[in-house]
Amino acid sequence: MTKIRRLTQAVFLLIFLWLFLQTESKGANELGYPVKIFLDADPLIFITTALSTRQLDFPLLLALIVILATVLLGRVFCGWVCPLGTLHNLAGTLKKRRPSAKPLNAYRWKYYILIFLLVSSVFTLQPAGVMDPIALLIRSLSLAVYPMVQYATVSVFNTLYTWQLPLVTDGSEWVYGILKKGFLSFQQPFFNQAAFTGLVFLGILALNLRERRFWCKYLCPLGALLGLLSRYALLNRSVSEGCDGCGVCVETCQGSAGPDRKDQWIKAECLACLNCDDACPKNAVRFGFSAKAPDASLDLGRRRVIGSAMAGLIAVPALRITPLRKAGAADPQLIRPPGSREEREFLRRCVKCGECMKVCITNGLQPALLEADLEGIWSPVLVPRIGYCEYRCTLCGQVCPTGAIQKLSLEEKAKVKIGLAMIDKGRCLPFAHGMSCIVCEEVCPTPKKAIWFEEVRVRDRGGPERILKQPHVDLELCIGCGICETKCPVLGRPAITVTSIGESRSRDNQLLLS
Amino acid sequence: MNRRDFVKSALITGAAISLPAGLDPILTALQAAQGPDLAVVRGTPPARITRAAVDALGGMRRFVSRGDVVVVKPNIGWDRTPEYAANTNPDVVAAVVRLCFEAGAKRVKVFDHPVSDARRTYKQSGIADAAAAAGAAVAFMDDRKFKDMRINGLTLKTWPLYSEVIEADKVINVPIAKTHGIARLTLGMKNWMGVMGGWRGRIHQRIDESLVDLARFIKPALTVLDAVRILTDNGPQGGDLADVKLLNTVVAGTDAVAVDAFGATLFGMKPADLGCVRIGHQTRLGSMDLAGMQIRRINL
Repeated sequence: MTKIRRLTQAVFLLIFLWLFLQTESKGANELGYPVKIFLDADPLIFITTALSTRQLDFPLLLALIVILATVLLGRVFCGWVCPLGTLHNLAGTLKKRRPSAKPLNAYRWKYYILIFLLVSSVFTLQPAGVMDPIALLIRSLSLAVYPMVQYATVSVFNTLYTWQLPLVTDGSEWVYGILKKGFLSFQQPFFNQAAFTGLVFLGILALNLRERRFWCKYLCPLGALLGLLSRYALLNRSVSEGCDGCGVCVETCQGSAGPDRKDQWIKAECLACLNCDDACPKNAVRFGFSAKAPDASLDLGRRRVIGSAMAGLIAVPALRITPLRKAGAADPQLIRPPGSREEREFLRRCVKCGECMKVCITNGLQPALLEADLEGIWSPVLVPRIGYCEYRCTLCGQVCPTGAIQKLSLEEKAKVKIGLAMIDKGRCLPFAHGMSCIVCEEVCPTPKKAIWFEEVRVRDRGGPERILKQPHVDLELCIGCGICETKCPVLGRPAITVTSIGESRSRDNQLLLS
Repeated sequence: MNRRDFVKSALITGAAISLPAGLDPILTALQAAQGPDLAVVRGTPPARITRAAVDALGGMRRFVSRGDVVVVKPNIGWDRTPEYAANTNPDVVAAVVRLCFEAGAKRVKVFDHPVSDARRTYKQSGIADAAAAAGAAVAFMDDRKFKDMRINGLTLKTWPLYSEVIEADKVINVPIAKTHGIARLTLGMKNWMGVMGGWRGRIHQRIDESLVDLARFIKPALTVLDAVRILTDNGPQGGDLADVKLLNTVVAGTDAVAVDAFGATLFGMKPADLGCVRIGHQTRLGSMDLAGMQIRRINL
């Protein structure tokens, strides 16, 4: 049975990683693969988003299937499907196989975390993505792990390339070519907070050295949710008379299910890995379908449950008394991707999975730190100096699992403003230094260019008078895509910059009367 | 050619072209004996008029020898589909590639260093598919292959250029005719910005001299100007079909200045209205004297 389970886990992990690699433009405006299905299938994201938005306008079929499967079979998702769980299994193999310190048995922690998340989502907060395993995994891979792998791989091949050794370099270039086609990213991704995100991820994996599947047993809020759903599952475990209490099953249990306790086995903590069945020397363990009620009740302690719920409640006002919420005081650098909903609604939906940042063709979408305060940490923000919003690209809206960024048609996208560009006359070459430069106008993508020229007569120091073109921004036409800022030859602090003012999604953050 | 030889030859080339261009008029005269200075063909479809234009100059065998590695450099600068006339017409590019192979080219490379994301421009322009179907090796530019070149020009002294262009046996420029904010038009010479590495936005400070420097350094064997559709406003990127004018024309010639000089007339401008044409003429890179040229006009 272990072999079948491992094979299933490997298949799902590979599907997950393959879809992750496909979350990248190949030049067409469609990806061609359902890259976000693992997020769509995530009941925690589904339930918290439904609660925080009071809407059901996002895909729900897959999440319902997982819920149904859990209700019938228990936490099979954790034991057989979850890609992060499989990675925990792999990381756990690094742990020494010796009778270690007594297990922490702190499986209740994750329920407190879940209660916190559910209660805060009832009151319109959406913090689930911070700890949701799928969102956390995609975010960590996108922002840290994959960019690191890319950097390391490219460095190795570049070194071999510069050596120009006969045969060796030919071989390495051949391999490099294959990797570029199927595995490597088109360009090196660069992300703010990459090292931090990577360290958090590494830390979570390192918990396996303390106890295997530490995260799944004690911290994972999705695991907790599926645990609650599995309490009346039909797949049940029975232990026959043959059991002599040797305790081998405890060592092999991936959860905190207490398999040695026979009838007191905790179903909500069972990952249905079936290890105890395989390991039992007496062959006394048996899994089968029955309508048996759970034997061990899940006692979370009334005070702690109330405490977690209170924390979830208090978090809502605590996170919303930031001055960034005051009209006109929002961070001007908070440029959201095109199709983003109004900021409050956006934050109710965004689960910080990082899909949009992974897919962003110019690498301009970056994880926010505190631009939208703590509530918006790791939500996407466009940083034009890193990358602009490509005029005819709508990929971020296509991969967003919760509709925080809405899917736009090209016609709709052309009308959406995400901000406005303004010129710094003190740095702009034609204004400040009498030098000619038209880069902002050249790259401006709107059909009728939002940057226009005024021809003025200028005189250089000691030179003759000549005619120069000075750029101006047409605020009606500018969509704030930021390509002018990205390409401005005035490096350092560019002479044309975009801020969020004028963004279509906001009623108040406007400049023009009409 | 290994890297060491290549660097050596690049240096020699750089030194050679910094000499007074005393030989150029003689070479020009020699070439003139082989065919007209310019071929201007009007008609449809694009592949057919492209072929006719090259044939009118004496055929591709005049430019490409058996076994040559040829670089065909279209404009793939923008994320626009062909009807917007922001990139070279894919059928024109494919026709040039096919002509190269028919003349015996061993390998034909097609690439550009676009302004928008390369994945999108290659795909949306239709050029990647069309050129690959014609047998060309279509590749994205590899950052490692930009090498500092001693250009020793009027403005550009050294600049990183794409080494495959310099290493190639023959280079064919396949630009499209469009308006441009500062150069007024972007035609053949302007297309060489697409092999520049580095922070190339700076060259707009002295664009005309820089373009002449590039054209002189790269020395294309042939320029095939795509004017099937031209972009008459909001160039070089466009985006409004109302700015696109259907001319169904291809202009071909060996003199990069002459091709651009003729290109200006397509927009109702005089050759001297374009700074790079004027300077190219003055510094004897080529001629803008259209009246004194033999221009072969064909209607199909």
